[in-house]
Formats: sequence, structure tokens, C-alpha cells
Amino acid sequence: MVMNIITSILVMSGMVALGFAIGMLFNGIARKVVARIHNRVGPPVYQGYIDVFKLFSKKTNISHGWIFDLAALFSVGGIALTFLFLPVAGVSMLSGEGDLFLILYLIAIPALGFALGAGASGNPNAAVGMMRALMMMLAYELPIAMVIVAMMVYYNTTSLAGIVAMQSNLKWAIGIPPFLIGALVADMALQGMLMEKPFDIPLAPHEIATGPLVEFGGKHLGSIILYKMMGTVVETTLFVDLFLGGGVVLNVNQFGWFAYLVNFIVWFVLILVVFLIAVIINAVFPRFRIEQALKFYWKYDALVALFILFWIFSGVMV
Amino acid sequence: MRQEDWSKLARIMSKRSLWMVHFCTGCGAMEMPPVLTSRYDMERFGMISMATPRQADVLLVTGYLAVKTLKRLVQVYEQMRDPKYVVGFGSCTINGGMYWDSYNTIKDLSKYMPVDIYIAGCMPRPEAIIDAFLKLMDMIDKGEATGWKKYHKYYKQYKRNQKMAFSYRLDEVKDIEEGDGK
Amino acid sequence: MLVEIFITMLILALVAAALNKYPKISGIVTFFASLIPFLVVISWSQDIGLSFPQFLKFFTLEKSLNYNIGIATFMLKITPLGWFFLLLLASAFPMAILFSITFIKKNAGGFYAAMITSMIGSMGILLAQDILSFYMFWEIMSWSILALVMRSHDKKAIMSYLSFGVLSAMLILLGIMLLYSETGTFVFSEMGFMANNTTLIALSLLVSGFAVKGVLVPMHVWAPYVYSRSEEPFVAFLSGGLSKLGYFAMILFMYSVVGISVLNSWGTFRDVSIFGYTLAFIGALTAFIGTVLAIMQDDLRKLLAYSSIGQLGYIAIGIGIGTPLAMTGALFQALNHTFFKSALFLAAGAVYYRTGKWKISELGGLGYKMPFTFLAVLFAIFALAGIPITSGFAAKWLLYEAAIQKKFLFITPIMLIAGVGAFLYSYKILYGVFLGEPRHNVKEAPLSQLAAMWLLVLPLIIFLIFPGWFVDLTSPILKWYGLMPISHTPYTITTSLAAYNTLAVILALIGGLILAFALYFSKPQKVVPHTDNYLAGEPPELYEHISMHAASKYYEPFDEVFYPFFKRGAEMCWMAILKFVKILGEGARAIYTGIVNDYSIYILIFFLLLVGWWLIW
Repeated sequence: MVMNIITSILVMSGMVALGFAIGMLFNGIARKVVARIHNRVGPPVYQGYIDVFKLFSKKTNISHGWIFDLAALFSVGGIALTFLFLPVAGVSMLSGEGDLFLILYLIAIPALGFALGAGASGNPNAAVGMMRALMMMLAYELPIAMVIVAMMVYYNTTSLAGIVAMQSNLKWAIGIPPFLIGALVADMALQGMLMEKPFDIPLAPHEIATGPLVEFGGKHLGSIILYKMMGTVVETTLFVDLFLGGGVVLNVNQFGWFAYLVNFIVWFVLILVVFLIAVIINAVFPRFRIEQALKFYWKYDALVALFILFWIFSGVMV
Repeated sequence: MRQEDWSKLARIMSKRSLWMVHFCTGCGAMEMPPVLTSRYDMERFGMISMATPRQADVLLVTGYLAVKTLKRLVQVYEQMRDPKYVVGFGSCTINGGMYWDSYNTIKDLSKYMPVDIYIAGCMPRPEAIIDAFLKLMDMIDKGEATGWKKYHKYYKQYKRNQKMAFSYRLDEVKDIEEGDGK
Repeated sequence: MLVEIFITMLILALVAAALNKYPKISGIVTFFASLIPFLVVISWSQDIGLSFPQFLKFFTLEKSLNYNIGIATFMLKITPLGWFFLLLLASAFPMAILFSITFIKKNAGGFYAAMITSMIGSMGILLAQDILSFYMFWEIMSWSILALVMRSHDKKAIMSYLSFGVLSAMLILLGIMLLYSETGTFVFSEMGFMANNTTLIALSLLVSGFAVKGVLVPMHVWAPYVYSRSEEPFVAFLSGGLSKLGYFAMILFMYSVVGISVLNSWGTFRDVSIFGYTLAFIGALTAFIGTVLAIMQDDLRKLLAYSSIGQLGYIAIGIGIGTPLAMTGALFQALNHTFFKSALFLAAGAVYYRTGKWKISELGGLGYKMPFTFLAVLFAIFALAGIPITSGFAAKWLLYEAAIQKKFLFITPIMLIAGVGAFLYSYKILYGVFLGEPRHNVKEAPLSQLAAMWLLVLPLIIFLIFPGWFVDLTSPILKWYGLMPISHTPYTITTSLAAYNTLAVILALIGGLILAFALYFSKPQKVVPHTDNYLAGEPPELYEHISMHAASKYYEPFDEVFYPFFKRGAEMCWMAILKFVKILGEGARAIYTGIVNDYSIYILIFFLLLVGWWLIW
């Protein structure tokens, strides 16, 4: 019993460390890819690690009081918590203890902590940026909520681990016609979730000086950047779990440790592909205004999602 | 690991990740776009431009500084976190450049804040800029870029010089000078 | 014993009114009076089948009481449902009174007397076993609320409350009359129903009458005016406590009086009665509309009023679906709403008490000045938005699960998006009032106000860790309706679709925070004031007269997008009806001129007709 608990705690801390490591790597890869698209050389792929180390090694750190510090605590703590509730490559750490609704609300914990810190800095740019971030959240949440509800009803479970298990033996959701369209809708929403262009409205360095991040520096900025980097892993994993079977290709009971290895590699490749799609769109697009983004998501994206809902609805009735 | 090893590692890391804030005051800023974009691509050294001084390590002063601008520059400099580096860009920051006899531009930036490295020229070419940054990285690696320590050490003197520059009446200047005597 | 308790409270109300000149003493007397219902409700816990410890039995009370007054018998009896709602009201009520000891200064005796009377009315409603006593206590409660609304001296608030209160009373009375004509008895337990149209009409009338108290769209129009103009302790009790009576009455009449089999006989949709489905849909609509309108408000009280409307919509969804999961979810949401909304209104009152301002755009930076108020608000907002750091999430989770279980494809996304909208207005409160530029040099709120807020927040934290305890609280109600209680342990809830383990969430959060702390304490830091802010290098002393608080018109792009859709709201619809009534009234006015001569002529004509008729006959 005690050994089991210690083992699972070790596995979970290892997974969180892996998540942060992959997040930092993704940051470097994204910058390299964007640079190559711009016909530049670009930074090395390990640039993310250097940046985070540098930020945590700054000599002085400036805070705006204890509410400001909550941002650093809740953003890193909350995103690690969210990661634990996702099934990663078929390894369900805590995902049996909660479901997809819990994950949707857990993602809000780091965001809310971050929002508290941004607000507490007292900078008007941060307030405007936070307003945009929250409106973006409202905008992209509608289509993705519709698609997720359709999937839950189709698979008759709200558990993400359950949805992944249903897609085993390569019966990926993306192979089902309504969810192929659903994956496109969700990918558009993912673009907003990852705050890549054309939906990087909350940050907008040239308009509002990186918005909520404006007063963060040193270890505070380091924490926030860790949260952002881990956030890319969490959000792409969520997408892969929903539509691409969580990257599970081999049955663990049948193949043992080899299956874990293969599954992890497939999961890594899949989240990288999903992330690169977002990065490539990011590299060639300008930025929307916030009301344009809201209208885009609620008019076009949500309309397609509504179509999927009707599709599933007609199936459910039969 | 010992403390020195840690600071050595921190220096190696921070030289490869210099985030800068441009303080675009004069024509020198025109030379920055080629440095940043595909022709010369500064990002291969890990350098990117940041939006606010809170996030930045390098303050790039591109051109002449009017007295009014200096006030803002000092504000920006003091908002940056240590360790921080200042790069004076173009002749204007060294000796006033073509504004050498102007009544309202400052002539020598290093009187008001510690400058780690100057780039001479009116204006310097992108190659020169990149050369300067490589030099700065070298200095950081060796632990020679210690302008921020100097600012803490001689804080009073720097503040006095800044005050002198900001005061526009003769008696104010006199007051500051007399204050030094006491 | 039960009658004595009612009489004691009435006497204490009179004492409080008599002590009008000494507001604090009057408040303390009322506070002791307000504890009586709470002790009563705890004493009853064993009678409805809960295993509370024996020492919590303060009174030995009879379970039921029949009081014959000749023409009819008033029957009062404690039922599991009534007990649960009485628990909610009886815990919110003392906190509102505790808060008002320092808050209410003017004409305090009247305030306290009316508050106690409204509580007496609510107790009667929750215990009533026949229509007559139900309606009588309902009117006592409604009229004492009117007395409290009158204290605002605001014509719009009084008129809107009065007109909707009368509308509600008329609808309920009409429904009651239909029920009586159908069954021929006043007593709930003796009513045997036929699934015919008269019952359907009666039930619809009753539910729409209760919807006025439960502020469901389109009966919500009065709430923003009343909530935003009356005194905060009263509003906290009105929104947190008394609005639940509407939902109590809905559950009572739908599932207890009429019964689920009759509901189902009018048609079902995926095993949910069409009647319930309609209610659930109206609830979802209410949640969405309330949320969107809350985002647009600048007045703190109006924002809270609309958010209250939005959150109450969730309860209607749960009642409409009516499965064990949904009922537990609805009752859990009712409990959460009681506590967090009371706490939020009281906090708004505390902010007003210190700063004298209601507008969010005029406040700011109180988080460092009033840290304990801020933390109480933060927890209340976690509960409101459903962040899994308080019990607010468990309630919403149960409702989502219930909706997915019944495959409600269109209600669930509306609920989810209303939940996200709640983040928007929550952050508006947090930023506009407590974060940002400090503009008021004020002290922390008085101790009695802080105690009231924190005692309200406490249950939210307890039920976060042990949602199973809450399920235990509601299982007598479900058993009473013949439903199976949902499977649970103290900290896990399991449904057919998924499981929710609060202990895992909390432990993982603690683990994450330890990691964050380790990173956070890696380096020392210094604290700078808000004036040392990046403003493109502008020295802040140049801008002393310009506000850096960006809270005015905070969600302007949102308002621009949504305003065209909400320009013609429910209020305009009611105004059109009002206009129609006015035209009718004008017609009547042509006869009732108010001139004595005209009336004498009418009388003369009447007599002449009488005489003529007599002559002819």
C-alpha cells in the first residue's frame, strides 16, 4: 500500500518534470520553425531551457505585493495539477479521479491565479490584456464545449480516460465523420487556447506591451512562462486524447514496457504535429481584433459545431 | 556545487538569452529591423526584443537623448531587474554626435547611467551592432559587464548628474553643487 | 412547542421594533432571535433520518402540528425537503443579522422586525402541509419583504417588486383554486391527481408564480432593481435565502403534490417529462441571459443581482431534469448559492460601508486595504465560478453529469458557456474592486461584518473536501421521493459516467503548490508600490490626476457585440403589457372620473332605471 503510493507519487512527479521539459523544448521548436518560415536561422531548439534558467537566475525580483505573488504560485501549481488529470499516452495518473468537466475547470485555476497577479500589478495594460484573455476564453469555449458534449454523448462517458479507452485499437475519433469536422473546429479553438496568431490578442506585444505579462519579470515571469509552456503540452494532449486516441497504439497488457515506449513516442509525435499546425498558422497570420475573434468563434466555428450537434442528435434519437 | 559555479553557469545561460528593450529615441532605430529580421537574424544568438523593461536584460539606447527623454530613460532603466546591461548606440550617446552643440540634448550617456558597451558610427551598420552584441556576450561570460553594480555603487553621483541635467534654472544647479560641498 | 417558537420569534420581533432608538441592542436581540430557527432545524435532524450526534438536539419538538380554526385546519409538519431548505435559510439568516448590527443605523427596529417576520413566513412555508397555510405564510413572507423594499425609498424598486409580487400571488392563487376544484381538498397528502389539462394548467400557473421568487427569465425583471436599491444584509438574505423558497415550492408541487408519474403522463423526452424539460430549458436560458447581462453591469449590486439570476437558473435545470443526480446537483447548487451569494452581497455592503461607493469603476485596489474581505470574496467567487477550490464545482459537475446522462445536447453547452461567462464577471468584481490602483485609504471592515462573511464561506470549504457529507444530507429527500441516493464516500462521488475524487484534487493541488513554492522561494524579492509601473517610461508623478484603473467600461468590446441582442429585453415586453393594461385602465377611467357630480348622476340614472324596471315589472 505505502509502496504503491510512493511509486505513484514518483511516477507523477516524473511525468510533471517530463511535461515541463517537453513544454520548454516545444518553445524552442516553435521559435526555430517560425524562424525557418521567415527564412531566418533561428535560435537553437534548446533556447527554452536557457530562457527559463536565465529568468530564475535574475538577481533582483520586483513584486507588487502578496496578491501579485499568487500568480507565480497558482500558475505553476495549477498547470501541474491539470497535467496530472490528463491521460498521457495511455498512462492515466489521476484521470480516473476526475473527468473532462473537471479538466475544463482545472485549466481555469492557473489562469485565474495569473489573472489575480496581473490585476494586482495595477498596470492598465495588464487589465486590458486580461479583459481580452477572458473574452477569448468565452469565445473559443463555445465551439469546443459543443464538440466535447457531442463526444461525451456519443461515447456515453464524461471521463477522458474512458474516451481514450474507447478509441483503443486505432479506432480514433477522427475517423468518425462528425468528429473529423469536430477536430477541425476544435483545432481552431486550440489556436485561441494556445494564444497563437491570429488569436494572440491578449498578449499583443505591439499594442498593449504583452498585456497581462507587462509587470512580470525575473522569477515571476519565469513561473508564468513555465505555465505557458506546460500549457501548450496540456492543451495539445487534451486535443490528442479527444481526437487521436491519446497516442495509444499498442496494448500495454500485451506488449509490456515496449508498449509504453512506443505509446510515448507516438504521443510525443502527435502533440508535436498538433502544435506545429498551430505554429505554422501563427507564422503567417496577422492579428484579429477581439470582437472579430468573438464573432469568428461564435458565428462560424460555433455554427459548424452546432451542425455536429445536430448530426449526433439525429443519431441519438435513432 | 559552489556559489561561484552557479554564477558562472548563470552567466553562460544569460549571455545566450539576452532580451532587450529598445529605447528608440533617434534615427538609429532604423538599423534595428534588418538586425532582427531575416537578413542578419539576431535571434540565432537568443536575442529577442521585449515589450517592457521588466522583462528585459539589455537596454538599447538608439540615438540622441533630449533632457526630457533622459527622464524616461532613467525611469525605464531603474525598472529593469539586475543584472542589466546598457548599450549606447551611435555617436550621439558618446559625445552628442551631430547634436554636439545643442542646448537640450545630453552629450555623454555614461554620466547618467553606466554604459557597458558603445557602438560608434553615425549610424552603425548592422554588422557593427551584431559585433557589439557578441562583444557584450563575451564580457558577460568573463564577468566584465558590471555596469549594474556600478550604478548601485555610485548611485548618489548618478542621481546628482541626472538632477543637474533635469534642472533648467541656474539657481537649481547651484543648489545641487552647493549641496555636494556640504 | 412549535407554536411557542413562532410566538417567541414574534415577541422578539416586537421587542426589536420597540428598541428602535438603540440600533445595536436591537440588532443583538434580533441576532439571538435569528439563532432560534437554526437550533430548531438542527434539533429536527434525527426526526428526518439523519445521524447527527445526540447533543445537537437542543429542543424536543413535535414533528407535526394541526391547528384547527373552525373553517379549516392548518397542518404543519417537518419533511426532509422542508428541513433542508430550512437549514439553508436558518444558516444564512443569522449571518445577515450579524452583519447588520454594524451596518444598519437608520430606523433599525423596523428593519429587524420585518426581517424576523420574513423568517417566520419562510418557516411556515417550509413546514406547511396544506395549501391554505402555505399560501398564508407565503403572503406573510412576501409582505414583509415589501416592507423591507419600501425602506429603499426608490419608486422603481418598490413598484417593480409590488407589481411582480401581486402577479406572483395572483398566479399562485389561480393555480391553488384550480387544484382545489380538481381535487376538493386543501391537504397535500390527500390530493389524488388525474393527468388532465386542468392539472397541467394549474401546475404551470403555480410554477410561473414561484418563478417570480426564483427569478427565472422572463420573471426576473424586478430582481435587479430590488437587489440594487435595498440594504445589503436584507438583499443577502433575499437573494441567498428567500429566493430558494421559489425552488422549494417548485420541487414540492412538481414532485410531491402532483407527482412524477403524472408529470410523465403528459409526455416524456428521453425519460424526462416534457414539463421538466421545458423548466430545464428555461433554467439554461436564465443562466445564459443572467450571465451576459451581469457582464455588462457597472454597478456592483446590479452585477451581483444578474449573476444571482444566472446562478439560480442552474437550480431550475436540476429540478427540471429530476433524476437523482440532477436533484442532488440542484440542492447542492442551492446550498452553494445561499452561502456564496450571501457572502458576496455582504462583502459588497462592507465595501460600501468603508468607501461609500457602488460603482465598480470608482472603486479599486481594496485588496491590500481589506485583505480579509478580499479573501472571503475570492473564495465566494471560486464557488460562484465553479473553480474546484470550493464546493461550487461539485454542484455544477453533478448538473453537467445529469444533463449528459440524459443526453441533453443543447442544454449542456449553454450551461458550460454560462459557466465560462461567470469567470468574466467574477474577474470584473475582483479587478474593479479589489485589484488595480489603490484609490481609497480605508480600514478593514468591522469585526462583525468580517465574521458574517467568513462564517458563510466556511461551509463552502468544508463541502469541498467532503461532498459526500452533502449527499448524506440530501439522501432523506431522495428517499422520500423514491429515488436512489447517488453512490458516494465522504470525498468521492461516482456516477454511471465518471467519478470525482476531491481528495485527489486537493492533494494534487498541494503538490503543485509545493513545486511552485520551491521555484518561488529560489530568489528574494522586494515589493514596490503600484506607482512604480511600466507606463512606457512616463514618470507616474506627472499623471497623478489621471486614473490608471482601467475598470470603466471594462468589457466594452463584449458590450458592443451583445448589446444589439439585449436591447429589447424582457423589460420591454413587460412594458408593452403594462401599456395594454394602462389603456384598459384609461377606459375605466372614463367612467370613474373622480368628480362628485358625475357619481351623483350615475346614482340618479341607476335609481331611475331601478324605478323604471320596477314600474314595468
